[in-house]
Amino acid sequence: MSHPAHTVAFRATGVDMFFGTPENRVVALKQADFEARRGELIMLVGPSGCGKTTLLSVIAGTLTPQAGTVEVFGQRLDGLGQEALTTFRRRSLGFVFQSFNLIPTLTVVENVMVPLLIQGRPFDEAHARALAILDKVGLKGREEGRPNALSGGQQQRVAIARALVHEPPLLICDEPTSALDKDTGAQIMQMVRDLSRSPERCVVVVTHDHRIFRFADRIAEMEDGRISRVVDDPKLLDTTHL
Amino acid sequence: MYRLALNMLFGDRAKLAMLLCGLAFSALLMAQQSSVFFGIMSWTYTPMVNIRAQVWVSDPMVEQVNDAKPLRDTDLGRVRSVDGVAWAAPLHTSFVQARMQDGNFKLITLVGIDADTFAGAPAVLSQGRIEDLRLPDTVIVDEWGAALMGRMSVGPDGKPKNTPLQVGDTFEINDIQARIVGICRVKRAFTGGPFVYTTYDRAKGYTLGARRTLSFMLVEPQKGVAPAELCDRIERDTDLKAWTSDTVIWSWGERSLARNTFWWFWTNTGIPFSFGTAVLLGLFVGIAISGQTFYSFVLENLKYFAAIKAMGAGMGVIARMLFVQAFTAGLIGFGLGAGMAQAIGRVMIEKGMPPFVMYPQILWATFALVLGISFVSAVIGIIKVSRVDAASVFRG
Ligand SMILES: Nc1ncnc2c1ncn2[C@@H]1O[C@H](COP(=O)(O)OP(=O)(O)O)[C@@H](O)[C@H]1O
Ligand SMILES: [Mg+2]
Repeated sequence: MSHPAHTVAFRATGVDMFFGTPENRVVALKQADFEARRGELIMLVGPSGCGKTTLLSVIAGTLTPQAGTVEVFGQRLDGLGQEALTTFRRRSLGFVFQSFNLIPTLTVVENVMVPLLIQGRPFDEAHARALAILDKVGLKGREEGRPNALSGGQQQRVAIARALVHEPPLLICDEPTSALDKDTGAQIMQMVRDLSRSPERCVVVVTHDHRIFRFADRIAEMEDGRISRVVDDPKLLDTTHL
Repeated sequence: MYRLALNMLFGDRAKLAMLLCGLAFSALLMAQQSSVFFGIMSWTYTPMVNIRAQVWVSDPMVEQVNDAKPLRDTDLGRVRSVDGVAWAAPLHTSFVQARMQDGNFKLITLVGIDADTFAGAPAVLSQGRIEDLRLPDTVIVDEWGAALMGRMSVGPDGKPKNTPLQVGDTFEINDIQARIVGICRVKRAFTGGPFVYTTYDRAKGYTLGARRTLSFMLVEPQKGVAPAELCDRIERDTDLKAWTSDTVIWSWGERSLARNTFWWFWTNTGIPFSFGTAVLLGLFVGIAISGQTFYSFVLENLKYFAAIKAMGAGMGVIARMLFVQAFTAGLIGFGLGAGMAQAIGRVMIEKGMPPFVMYPQILWATFALVLGISFVSAVIGIIKVSRVDAASVFRG
């Protein structure tokens, strides 16, 4: 660890995020501090409504907090304009959503090509790279089908392929297994872990599925809009409320 | 990304079919309604089509072809002496009552043409010969008139039966016999009933006491003299008004009698308004349908555009994707609609009912409208996508 800036993937400090009108205000994040390193898979756990998705959105630059600073790979997100934030997401982020968000009118391989085409890569290169990663997630032969013809687990594998095809240094997964059954969820997490592992990459997984805690290097627990503690071993967590 | 934008559009065949049907239907509606409108309006200058001559000369007060102000017979000689005139023939037109053999009266447009030259004679005779007009008491009626003035009887099946007038049948105009020697095929008119052709001299007889019967003069320019140029000369050398016979109503020249007639009806009668409201309704329904189908297409894809936006696509890229989709659908929809309008138009033109004039301008205007609708829908979609919070994609 010669250069500390290389080890920190992102750092959010003192983040406040409110929704609604001043009279009718919902506090989603309250002085939240959250930090992760390159090379690790960190999970963000906590009861529904505690602010996990909001915190992810702040780190992804899709929400701008009212207070606090967010730094991702040494770059401060506050003060960046919409265009710079868009460029940042395009270059640095991969997303896996709870509801997959695959485009139903495109084929599987076309869905996976989207991040590369957004980056302006040539169609043929994007096509070849998408085919290669679909092979890795075990969907060889399904490339030309439509996402809706696949099972939930298969669709989430397409989403993982799409999130990783452009090799982003930060992979953000919001409840990637909550729409899946137990075994499929475990398989998906195994795949995320196998494919995304890299000394340069940081993976954040939001979940309240304690059956997949074992895939985490560290687990951050969230309560009422802030991180209450970070542990290395899932057994240290009180999972009764999850 | 544009290739994917197109694939998104073509990906769902059922929805695409809906979208294209909406666009095509509205393009068809707009083109068809406008064509019928201009078809009806074109009836106003029907005499210009049915009575063929390169140059028409009228009293200076005449504003439109259905309202002739009689000329002096001596005017014919004055026009004939204008440099560049090959020949000039008299023309009589008037609206008169014809009495059928069953005693009923029908309004007709009586057209008297020069018996020497037959200038202004109908282009197509489905029965008879034009030369037979030189026989006594003879007329040529149009097909529509032959049916309109036909004899009603009870057929063998007990149903009323109309027997159109035939060559050899007779009727009366102002108690003078008119014997049919030919049936012609001409365009229908907005005013004045069917066309009945006779000779100029006989028309004088049919209109009895009319002091002056010279309604217009039909003039042929000498070789190499342009009709508009000859009009200038006639107006310079006489105090009469001269007109060209072109029926393009879109240019702003003062020379075309058809164009002046069209715009005279446009400004002086309620006809454009009463038929125009139907056209506007068609336009409105067309715009509503295509706008609506497009808008729902955009709404359905909003979620996916939001995801693409979250993944780092700038609004510029998304805007161009939406434009590509909108204009592609607009183009195909217009193509289908315009094609159908053409096909329907062909049938209508063949039948003559309803009248149908599809100017290229109508197609261009429809094209512009459909693209405009596509453009507006795309802009609405772009505004929607730009408003949607990229963070919303994390929510279920
Ligand atoms: N766009 C929004 N508008 C209003 N309230 C919101 C919005 N997003 C989140 N919230 C509120 O913020 C709190 C945290 O939400 P969220 O981050 O989605 O929680 P979690 O992902 O942990 O379930 C909740 O009370 C939620 O209702
Ligand atoms: Mg959430």
